[in-house]
Amino acid sequence: MNYVIETDALSKRYRDSETVDRVSLRIRPGCVYGFLGPNGAGKSTTMKMLLGLVKPTGGRILLFGKEMNGKNRLQLLKRTGSLIESPSCYGHLTGRENLEIVQTLKGIPEKEIDEALDIVRLTGQQNKKVAEYSLGMKQRLGLAAALLGRPALLLLDEPTNGLDPAGIQEMRELISSLPERFHMTVMVSSHLLSEMDQMAEDVGIIHHGRLICQGSLKKLHERFRGNVRLRTLHQATAARMLDELAVSYRTEGTDLVLPERPKEELAGLVAALAAGGAGIVGVEAKEKSLEDIFLSLTGKQVSL
Amino acid sequence: MRTGAWKTERMKLRRRHVGLLTAVFCGIGILWGTWELGERLELCGGDGYRMLFLQLPLIDTILLPTMLAMLASRLCDAEVKGGTLKLLCTMEEKGRIFDMKLLMGIGYLCLFWAAQAAATVLFAVGMGFEVSLIPAHMLCFAAEILFPSAAVLILQVVLSFFFENQIIPLAAGLVGSFIGLFAWFFPGNPLRAAFPWGYYSLLGFIGYDWDPATRITHFYDMPFDLAMAAVLLLATVAGYAAGKYFFVRKEL
Repeated sequence: MNYVIETDALSKRYRDSETVDRVSLRIRPGCVYGFLGPNGAGKSTTMKMLLGLVKPTGGRILLFGKEMNGKNRLQLLKRTGSLIESPSCYGHLTGRENLEIVQTLKGIPEKEIDEALDIVRLTGQQNKKVAEYSLGMKQRLGLAAALLGRPALLLLDEPTNGLDPAGIQEMRELISSLPERFHMTVMVSSHLLSEMDQMAEDVGIIHHGRLICQGSLKKLHERFRGNVRLRTLHQATAARMLDELAVSYRTEGTDLVLPERPKEELAGLVAALAAGGAGIVGVEAKEKSLEDIFLSLTGKQVSL
Repeated sequence: MRTGAWKTERMKLRRRHVGLLTAVFCGIGILWGTWELGERLELCGGDGYRMLFLQLPLIDTILLPTMLAMLASRLCDAEVKGGTLKLLCTMEEKGRIFDMKLLMGIGYLCLFWAAQAAATVLFAVGMGFEVSLIPAHMLCFAAEILFPSAAVLILQVVLSFFFENQIIPLAAGLVGSFIGLFAWFFPGNPLRAAFPWGYYSLLGFIGYDWDPATRITHFYDMPFDLAMAAVLLLATVAGYAAGKYFFVRKEL
């Protein structure tokens, strides 16, 4: 398969610590790839290496199927837009003037500025100095700069940082829509696991510089299935029946906890237990959240 | 792309008042240098050109290091404060950003020198200097001002890029002014050659004798120190190469 981004054992070592440790990313074209990890996990460093802003100490990077090196870096990055950490902008210039600089450097028509401003809904504030912008507006301006030239690949590092709840939701919707609207591939990093559930199709989880898990979010949820919690009047009867039906379970206080299963199968099981006199008083199906998955993988609580 | 890089450098300078900064320092230099010019002309036998080619570099030694520190800071601090290098470096070579800042600074420096040279000629025409201009003097004046200033500018650009707090490069500029000024008063001190600001006096090409009894000043030509100019040029090239190397290697 042709990946938009492919890395092999990408590493970055600072003195004694391995900030990024043999990370092998595989990012499919046309998807939103969520790059997850707690603060300091190595997300920004990895993304900076993908943009050639930080020199790797090991491994290789392939962008659009071509190995990136000092000679072809800018050529490959012509098809890439980025927003790394805080938005890059000149406070003494207006929003539009900031975009004109990017437009000139990218060598693209000026009308694209209007389109980008329209996408991020900054048209009304384009002539205001950026120093007077709120953080959310700066973030949107940064995204507009990244979108200029309709790049095939967008790298966004924590783009919802500093935004208010409405801004976060707006940014998430915008990012999710990019592959369909503009045929872009988006790599978006975040330490907020919950927001990846709403944005990403594929995810990579990085922890202490190591990529501990990578794949489609759907498959990840399947792999780390949730559970079903049964509360009964007669726990012993219910347990005996589950043994007879060869259904695995564990006891947690007054509850019996079963692995998640298809809804039809669950309905049949509940009916059978009720008919057998277990006295079902409660059934709770719980899907594992990305936070739970992260905990399962790392055994550690992450900052939220 | 090269045109685009130059164009964007100019775009970035909107509302930075860099032209005004240069004009103010240049204006102060010209006013200072030509203060009571008529009276002084009488006391030097109308040798106005030589008088100004001695006066202006001395005044510039005080003004230019501070102006260049402010100029470099104006050129570079927007990139540092705005965190724009991590965006720019995905679109253009890092080394080119460094070069463009220097070129822009040298452009303003040349305007500064050209304005002083033009003012000198205008005063000569307006006030009727009796001794005419020797063209080689104008070349020496250009070298005396531009060569050390280029070296100082490189140093200031590097400092402005490497220090987020622009007080440090500005302080370096002020210190440079003092070093440069002291260098004029210690003509035999070899330490002058160790600092770029010391070359304003090292490359001086006009000397003078002042008679306290008559208060008359006699100006005379001194050979332009080509060896020192060569040392400065070599040091400038080395400083440029080292500054660019460290700038390019610095990770964002």
